[in-house]
Amino acid sequence: MINTEILVIGGGPAGLCAAAEAAEHGAKVLLLDDKDVLGGQLVKQTHMFFGSHLQYAGTRGIDIATLLIENAKKTGVELMPGHTVTGIYEDGVVTALNGGKFIKIKPEKIIVATGAYENMLAFPNSDLPGVYGAGAVQTLMNVNGVAPGNRVLMVGAGNIGLIVAYQLLQAGIDVAAVIEVTDKIGGYYVHANKIRRMGVPILTRHTVKQVWGKKSVEGATVVQVDDKFRPIAGSERNYAVDTVCLAVGLTPLTELLWNAGCEMKYIPALGGHVAWHDENLRTSRENIYVCGDASGIEEASSAMIEGKVAGLNAARTLTRKTNLTQKAYDERLKDLRAQLGQLRRGPFGEKARMGNSVLAGLPPAIDEPIESLPKDYRTFPKGARVVIECEQNIPCNPCEAICPHNAIKVGKDIVNYPQLDPEKCTACALCLTRCPGLSLFVVNKDYSPTETEISLPFEMIPLPRKGDAVDALDRQGNFVCKARVTRVLTGKKFDRTSIVSIAVEHKYADTARHFRVNGTPRLEQKIVAPANIPEDMDAIICVCEDVTRREIEKVIARDRAQSVDEIKRLLRCGMGPCQGKTCQRLIMQILAGKLGRNIAEFLPQTYRGPMKPAPMGILAKAYDEEKN
Amino acid sequence: MRRITEHPILTFKQGKGIKFTFDGKPIEGQEGDTIASALQAAGVRVFRESINLHRPRGFFCAIGRCANCSMVVDGVPNTKVCVTRLREGMTVETQHGRGRLDNRL
Repeated sequence: MINTEILVIGGGPAGLCAAAEAAEHGAKVLLLDDKDVLGGQLVKQTHMFFGSHLQYAGTRGIDIATLLIENAKKTGVELMPGHTVTGIYEDGVVTALNGGKFIKIKPEKIIVATGAYENMLAFPNSDLPGVYGAGAVQTLMNVNGVAPGNRVLMVGAGNIGLIVAYQLLQAGIDVAAVIEVTDKIGGYYVHANKIRRMGVPILTRHTVKQVWGKKSVEGATVVQVDDKFRPIAGSERNYAVDTVCLAVGLTPLTELLWNAGCEMKYIPALGGHVAWHDENLRTSRENIYVCGDASGIEEASSAMIEGKVAGLNAARTLTRKTNLTQKAYDERLKDLRAQLGQLRRGPFGEKARMGNSVLAGLPPAIDEPIESLPKDYRTFPKGARVVIECEQNIPCNPCEAICPHNAIKVGKDIVNYPQLDPEKCTACALCLTRCPGLSLFVVNKDYSPTETEISLPFEMIPLPRKGDAVDALDRQGNFVCKARVTRVLTGKKFDRTSIVSIAVEHKYADTARHFRVNGTPRLEQKIVAPANIPEDMDAIICVCEDVTRREIEKVIARDRAQSVDEIKRLLRCGMGPCQGKTCQRLIMQILAGKLGRNIAEFLPQTYRGPMKPAPMGILAKAYDEEKN
Repeated sequence: MRRITEHPILTFKQGKGIKFTFDGKPIEGQEGDTIASALQAAGVRVFRESINLHRPRGFFCAIGRCANCSMVVDGVPNTKVCVTRLREGMTVETQHGRGRLDNRL
């Protein structure tokens, strides 16, 4: 039995920050993660993060992972990667598997930072190899350096779908289209703009009808939906793709919290069932805290701050007095809450604000109005100046922080639109390389009597060379005019973002915002879906046990199954090695639809340890060893 | 499929070659690979056959959550190859059905 004061489960942004915070205040901290590499999803993120410098904004996710791991080590956290936690039991004992070893831990406080898992979408042949989760695509290409496919259809235009589509393009993989079932792009428009200006279409109100292929994906049919999400006949469109990437949302990974007996609530705005928690992130079990996506789906920047809040409070409530004084605690908590409040400002913080209000049983939190000046895309009439094409009130200010001339002002309220002071701007272009949304450009209208020079941030390969003839593109990726590369700047200060300048006729100063090197526009090749897919083909819901949608619908109608547990007993779905992670949400949706009830009324299946398949021999061996 | 050799942000080091077999065929992966990434790089996408309907399956989540990538590795069935590091000389086989317990366990 390992004894520790605080046990953190999960080594992503929330867990690493929670552990470091608690250790900094004098607690003895142990952190377990099931992967052999710490950092959670950060290790796959090539883009710079939003937020303020307090959450490493303007730094790439991969580099934030390294910083957080270093910091946790420095503060004295004992890091144990490669350990899968399999249960939290009534007596407060936590069990974990490490290869063939089974260990038990007795902590005084537990911080659950297990993150989330990806939602599945079921359609005919959705179980075919080549239909991958967005996280899988990222792991494969950004961690292992292996292309997931040659041509990808992205499903979902939230931030993950948009970011992964961009990352695919960075890895030299074609993205046929991004489709989104709702009527609007859910992610940041600046992320959408990055791929749109490269010519990738984003189709809203579209869903996957089917995919096909002999042994793996060879093509996909998408279909438009009406305002009730019903497919519109005749609107089908086929894509020749070998990969379909699903980025259709995340569900908090809460199995350990259920297992521990924490009070759970279904909050759609937070992504599903979450453990009830107070403002200090303490759950209904007083020694268990929760933070990050496990406490409700949000951005990584909020996860880091939540981790710190949980770590601070866990350290504060230890029986042993640590070096944390009341005054230091109060000040730190106030500061962290202010940061969290700031990150939850504006339109993108609405879900977190609402979800946490509902969770606490309070009326919806009121977001103070944003008092910034309206956005202004107008280019300066003469000379070289930055133009800021920041689209939405995102909490973010690296442009202000990096400007050496104080020419950009965001202000204390970082959801404000950045404002440029053209008198101070020298067009040094440093801000272009630090905007996580790549939404800043330099437009020089005095480049020559006939030409304007447009400088833009560029994170693709191949990098063009000075003098190259290119096609200038507009914000939607449409051809604008022929152009010439006038400058290519790279440098350490730019952190792997290059600045490419192109010269265009003056009249295109406001339209040209990207370019393509070889002059061929993207053409969608017309293909036909094979005729042998039946129009009413069934879809597999439970991939472990091979249970189809129709089988589930049948037991609801015929056997009057009313709950996930009943369907599980009748059909075995959810009893396979994934323990319902793939099918559970889908089954709840089918139940709600068929019974005409709200999805919030359904409970997931009962969770019992071990949470992950564990060979009986290992458990038996551990029992024998303990007895002797 | 292919390995990504050039990338604007990331650097992928050419790792040491690691030899293993897939259904008896010799394949070479790289240091740093999981079994799944080595197979994908070699163009193998079908990892198992589903238990009742015998449909082809590959990986889905690549983080050890969904178990869709279960294979028989060195005789041990239900090994999640997306989170299992590739080692020299491994025997990797397509899993048919639920897998059988090996006598060595």
